[in-house]
Amino acid sequence: MRSLFTPLHWLVWRDPKRRAENLLRFAEVEADGGRDLVRAAEVTGDPVLRRLFLKHALDEQRHADLFRGRGEALIRALPSGSSGIQANWMAPGERGLDDLQVEAEGDEALLAFLHLSEKAAAKDFTNYVAVLGDDPPTRDVFKKVLHDETFHMTYTRAQLQRVAPQRAGRRVWVARLRRFWKAYLRLAAALAGLVGGVVLTLQYFLILPVFALAARRAAKAEPPGFSSVAPERNGPLTGQY
Amino acid sequence: MKILGISAHYHDSAAALLIDGLPVAAVQEERMSRRKNDAAFPLAAIEWCLDSAGLEPEDLDAVVFYERPMLKFERILTTALRSFPVGRKAFVHAMRNSLGEKVWVRGIIQAQLGVSRRKVLFTEHHQSHAAAAFLTAPTKEAAVLTTDGVGEWATLTVGRGRRTPGGATSIELLREVRWPHSLGMLYSTFTAFLGFAVNEGEYKVMGLAAYGTPRFADAVRKVIRRTADGAFSLELGYFEFHTSVARSFSQAFVDLFGPPRASWDPIDLATDEGRRFADIAASVQLVLEEILVDMTRALQRETGLRDLCMGGGVALNGVANARILAESGFERLFVPPAPGDAGCALGAALYADRVHFGNPDRDFPDHPFWGPMAEPAELARIAREDGLAVETLDDAALIARTAEDLAADRIVGWMDGACELGPRALGARSILAAPLSAQTRDRLNRDIKYREEFRPFAPVVPAELAERFFVLPPGGVRLARFMSGVFPVRPEWRARLAAVTHVDGTARVQALERSMAPRLHELITAYGKLTGVPVLLNTSFNLAGEPIVNRVAEGYSTFRRSGIDVLVAGGARIAKRTRAKVGFEEEIA
Repeated sequence: MRSLFTPLHWLVWRDPKRRAENLLRFAEVEADGGRDLVRAAEVTGDPVLRRLFLKHALDEQRHADLFRGRGEALIRALPSGSSGIQANWMAPGERGLDDLQVEAEGDEALLAFLHLSEKAAAKDFTNYVAVLGDDPPTRDVFKKVLHDETFHMTYTRAQLQRVAPQRAGRRVWVARLRRFWKAYLRLAAALAGLVGGVVLTLQYFLILPVFALAARRAAKAEPPGFSSVAPERNGPLTGQY
Repeated sequence: MKILGISAHYHDSAAALLIDGLPVAAVQEERMSRRKNDAAFPLAAIEWCLDSAGLEPEDLDAVVFYERPMLKFERILTTALRSFPVGRKAFVHAMRNSLGEKVWVRGIIQAQLGVSRRKVLFTEHHQSHAAAAFLTAPTKEAAVLTTDGVGEWATLTVGRGRRTPGGATSIELLREVRWPHSLGMLYSTFTAFLGFAVNEGEYKVMGLAAYGTPRFADAVRKVIRRTADGAFSLELGYFEFHTSVARSFSQAFVDLFGPPRASWDPIDLATDEGRRFADIAASVQLVLEEILVDMTRALQRETGLRDLCMGGGVALNGVANARILAESGFERLFVPPAPGDAGCALGAALYADRVHFGNPDRDFPDHPFWGPMAEPAELARIAREDGLAVETLDDAALIARTAEDLAADRIVGWMDGACELGPRALGARSILAAPLSAQTRDRLNRDIKYREEFRPFAPVVPAELAERFFVLPPGGVRLARFMSGVFPVRPEWRARLAAVTHVDGTARVQALERSMAPRLHELITAYGKLTGVPVLLNTSFNLAGEPIVNRVAEGYSTFRRSGIDVLVAGGARIAKRTRAKVGFEEEIA
């Protein structure tokens, strides 16, 4: 299946290093999504949904394993020293399912959200399969995942019809609007981050050098080893300093 | 007096509530939000603490935050300035990170809880650690040592605490080692170098160390040097954690120790490379122990005290703790069940109560169970909805039945009473198994915990029988109360206790007093009657990447997604029909 973006996908997936990084990122997203689905299973009062969410969570975990396994295999196949991917120095706590607050969602909203997410993922993965002809193992990973995504897309829609027969369509539309809103927020946050980074960098080089000099001199004056704790430090708790 | 303690914004945020000097509730935010190591402002934990006591925020007399945010900000800014001009990225990252939320703690507390400004107090980070260690321990006077990555500026403090029954309390910090010279950061840097997640993988380094020989110890001593006054300083040319957001070690570090391990590469101890990583782990562990033993020995000589209380994340290193107990000269070593930042919520509240407000000393209940309760009725409801048979048994029948399960090598999810505060399952949210076979350990690793083979599982044994199986020095039973020490398994028991004996013949044992967890104590005793070995394997009730379960629904979902055979919550018991790798798929088919 070819889409307007096929050449772009082909470019993105062409480089083995970027391919590996994408797969490892997908693994994280799937694993986080799985944890969110576990949470959804734990908080829902609907036994049918609980069983389906748990099954869905297991699928996501299996997808994470598939993506991670293939990503790591690609990294190992890279020429030595070219991976440029560093050992883990990231703080834990990445989030899955698009920063979804599972506890704050009702079953209906969650099903609508999941339906759209799975639909979008299925579409993307179909495109990736189309451009990965020269890498059959990676293509097979996407095919396996795609098979499950189709089931997830179907069951979420069917369950939404079951729990909200009159409101299913509206729920999907609301979820769609929320996805747009979140996409806008992500874009705005990225833009704000970029502007903030530029401003802080300018401050760093234009305003801070004098203070940096003073700070470095002060650091040299600090003796190594123990420092005594001033008695007033054991005093009242009212200050933030 | 009603005092709420809060820790947040770095890792393991938590809330703790004291009423008239005694704790009534304490829980980590991760147990509520289900995000491991959740560092967010612990609103859910606060709400639960207040609800469980029937309080509204306006009923509180004080809200105490566990560190001084502006002092911490000063350290972050100064560090960025000192590394000029190479620290640009670290500066941008630090400013975004701090200015977004972390420096506005007073305002956040006021806004979220609606309490007045004068009710919001701040302890220093290491004061909180010191209070959590000293004021929860059954001692009247003790030396105190706290050590972690960093608080505001301090990374290690020494001091002393005094309590007068019904009277005044003092905790005095005397000296400190300041950032960037830090034992916690040293260990974390090696954790990252060995390819494990920082603040999470330090246990793995300790477990891996047992497989190695410390042939890199001299190299480690090059990156951390002792100072003339008995402290230490890092050779900063080997580190980048103070200048970089992406790396904690420098090229000089790599030149010294060789290439780092990539997180996705398995550690194969049959290869030279795998053994190199194990040897590096053994080396940093040895040097850490040497420094801690040396410092605590000096502290004992200086204070002449019998007791030592330790706090901070480094106090989770059970191997080092056992050496400190054996070699420092202190007769007793107290490590609280939550020595890390989560316990600081409790420590901050206790410090405010006893020291700031000068309320009279009260003995602290000697257990870690301050979280939400497990509700058996909830398990019965969920299981029935899913078509599983539920047995509701009285205590005696349940204990007998569960002991039979364990003797038949079934793996049991055990939820009993209130959830623990801290990273260790101490009998309220545990996965229990027979300790007698290496196959059980392998099955736990493969089907439930999904973790590396070099990580050991811990045993739990009745305190009165602990010395029959383990070589415990004087004070060892106390240190093992909250699983805070690693001790040798007696040679004659090592083969039988195969599932809980580490490769070096040691175990991170929990010595359980009946008064702390009576039902678990009874269960171990009943299991002992069946098998002749009153010891169980006790590991935390969670899957990889998830926090320890809190409520029954979470225990149930873990049971359904893993190879756990039996789930017990209070008096309710459910079991899978057949032993399966993942029960859910089988049951639903």
